[in-house]
Amino acid sequence: MATGTNSLPQYLEQLPGTTFRKLYQQPSTAFAIFRRMLPHMAKTIVMAILYSPTPFSLSDLDLWVKPTAAREKDQAIAILRLLHIVQPQSLALTANFKNSLRLALEGGGDHNSFGVPSTEPIPTEVDHMFLDKYARKKWDDILHYVVSATGITNVQTGSSGPKQSVKDLLLAGRLVERRGAELTITHIGFSFLLQEANAQVWALLLLWLEAIDVANASGNRSDMDSVDMLSFFFMLASLEFGRAYSTDALTESRRNMLPTLIDFGLIYIPQHNTHQFFPTRLATTLTSNETALRSISAGFSAATSSTSDEQDKCTIILETNFRMYAYVHSPLQIAVLALFSNLKFRFKGLVSGRLTRKSIKNAVGHGITADQIVAYLSTHADEQMYRHAAAANKPVLPPVVIDQIRLWQLDTERISTCDGYLFKEFDEYKEYKAVADFAENIGVCAWRNDKKGIFFATKVEQIKDFMRSRRKANEGNNS
Amino acid sequence: MNRIDASAHYSEPASSASQIPSLLTIVVDTNPRAWAAIADLLPISKALANLLVFVNAHLAFGNDNHVAILAAHPNRAVWLYPKSPNPDFRAASSRSNSDVEMTDVDGRQDGTSAAAELGGSANKFPLFAQIETCILASLRSLIDSTAPSDLNPTTLVSGALTLALSYINKMRHALEPAKTSSDPANPTSTAAMATTNNSSPTDTGASTLHSRILVLSVSDSEPAQYIPTMNAVFAASHARIPVDTLSLYGTPTFLQQAAFITGGTFLSAASNPRGLLSYLMFGFLADAEARKSFVTPTQDSVDFRAACFCHRNVVDTGFVCSICLSIFCSVPENAECLTCGTKLALGNYGAKPAVAPRKKKKKKIRANGTSAREDTGSATGTPAPT
Repeated sequence: MATGTNSLPQYLEQLPGTTFRKLYQQPSTAFAIFRRMLPHMAKTIVMAILYSPTPFSLSDLDLWVKPTAAREKDQAIAILRLLHIVQPQSLALTANFKNSLRLALEGGGDHNSFGVPSTEPIPTEVDHMFLDKYARKKWDDILHYVVSATGITNVQTGSSGPKQSVKDLLLAGRLVERRGAELTITHIGFSFLLQEANAQVWALLLLWLEAIDVANASGNRSDMDSVDMLSFFFMLASLEFGRAYSTDALTESRRNMLPTLIDFGLIYIPQHNTHQFFPTRLATTLTSNETALRSISAGFSAATSSTSDEQDKCTIILETNFRMYAYVHSPLQIAVLALFSNLKFRFKGLVSGRLTRKSIKNAVGHGITADQIVAYLSTHADEQMYRHAAAANKPVLPPVVIDQIRLWQLDTERISTCDGYLFKEFDEYKEYKAVADFAENIGVCAWRNDKKGIFFATKVEQIKDFMRSRRKANEGNNS
Repeated sequence: MNRIDASAHYSEPASSASQIPSLLTIVVDTNPRAWAAIADLLPISKALANLLVFVNAHLAFGNDNHVAILAAHPNRAVWLYPKSPNPDFRAASSRSNSDVEMTDVDGRQDGTSAAAELGGSANKFPLFAQIETCILASLRSLIDSTAPSDLNPTTLVSGALTLALSYINKMRHALEPAKTSSDPANPTSTAAMATTNNSSPTDTGASTLHSRILVLSVSDSEPAQYIPTMNAVFAASHARIPVDTLSLYGTPTFLQQAAFITGGTFLSAASNPRGLLSYLMFGFLADAEARKSFVTPTQDSVDFRAACFCHRNVVDTGFVCSICLSIFCSVPENAECLTCGTKLALGNYGAKPAVAPRKKKKKKIRANGTSAREDTGSATGTPAPT
């Protein structure tokens, strides 16, 4: 899902250290980042050193981690450094993160970062089902708006569509483009459509953040700060679904954010009582890890299916002969399927079609990647496919088809580019080997040539640190 | 048809890419005598606070991590979290209270917990607050219903282990995808499913849920409980559930063996119980997935002594029934096994062992070897649990 800064990890990576320091002042933010952004091993390491009375050194860690897992260890530490959770060169947690995570676990302090519950009575009509339906409608309006720009199907939703501000945001984020009077979807918009709901929400929220940043830079509307907004998102994610929270306890700038969040369908505010707000499932699942989403979206559709007669359920059976059968009602999902497949028949509740070279090439031409298609197919795979795969201990989707989709994409993409840094002219081969191996271990080495002693890395900061510490160690040895 | 689907070069099985939820079941030894003995070093309130932080840390790993907490009391095992599904049990066990009063108590508990939740949760993750109030309320009612006559020096760990195992089994089934195919048109998949289920019931379970049991022990192992404890341990080992133990006081011999048998971790914090949280966070937080990549603490020596079936004594050497493998500290009456009733022949027990002179020819040794084996019974060791 590499679509510019549309995903949260990429957005966080490019933030400066001071921003992280500010973010980590809120326990809910530290907690959410811990939960959502770290690999499993990094979580274990952080927890082990969180309450450790004595500082934990890198050599201690080497002893603790099995040699077979050295690669994961390097990756874990790289991510921890990138997110400014541990200090560079050592394995000590940064002060703000440590305090905040401790507070989050112990539940003390006076920070109110997990939301102040409203003491007023909850309106009777607001229950889980109501909130799910509400969030789904709001979100579908946005999706329908994007899909309607594809020109493939004319979707009649019968609703007015999203608010103008949301439309502007989609335009500004180049998800759709206005060509004359007509709206056309861009390749960013295509890949947006293929993502999981959770990734879509983040993509939109990040677009909003960027829009605010741009507005702030040009000098107007400076009452919102993107750091504060981000930590407010993380706070929303830690709220409890179906519970009323008080708007009075929010700061002025955060209260100004509420109308937009309503437009996105992340929160609900009863009309007659604006002193309380309800987070919807879109908000409370913001920090669930991506793998958990299958179950959550399943819960989502299960919750809504009883009311809206399985409107947006879409399950796909993909056969080894490239035929695809999709049990689907919603025109939205059919439009998405039509993006990359050649649909042949449509019945009530079922469409069937094939994946062909032409259809995949078409999709790739629109900027959809093979990985996105595969991800979409696997998240929507039918229960039957999962059962079959589990029984035979095989991948869920037929590997021939997956391989072929990838190959078809490769047909169109013979060259790929990435920005980065070339490392060359090392003093000796040994040093080259150590540095290149390190780069490979932390996953930034894009290409290497051992014969010539050069390699190409996509990120340079940690390699710099590594080389510096190496040089220091060498000097220490020589003197 | 399926031969050509090229799955050979996909080494990863279907579900291994996703993060598997993990269930942590904690058995807290709540023996009042033992806690009183270490009250100076580590009062139970403090230990519980540390334990709650540990539980929160486990839950922080992901949305789908679960936790279950049990109390092993001197006379029974009680659910602390989630609440026992049959609250009548508690009402019945809190002796001599009428039904009316019990409902009254329940009502008051709910009221206070709701109030506490509303007051505290602005600074607390909602789920954490919920677990805390639930545990404190159940523990309070457990302590209130403890009579002085219940105060045995030892704790019913085996009962709690059994409850934990049954809960884990229930959770496994809840998280497993539906087994029966609703589609009669594809009988091969159901057949394949059925065979895998029959051959290794643990495999499918292990892939949907990592579970483990942690025992926070403060008392000695009671020899009378040797058999039920070991049964629970072997069941855990069969289901591939590691049983970890952190011992704060006393010597829980059987739990030490349990950790060894199930591949769990045994640590003794008796020398420094104040460092409970560090022990927990460092030694016990890693779940099955993380344990693949971390070096886990090991025990240098394990006390393998068993308790005999006749007098519940812990013995170094004893007599073993050759049929049912029951252990006896002395020869049972009439040389009849107390468990299975087999008439046992002692052979020439106690006699001076005859030392056979070494044979010179190799052929004869082989012939002798077989006959010697027949004399002493089976040559293969005790089958290891897998």
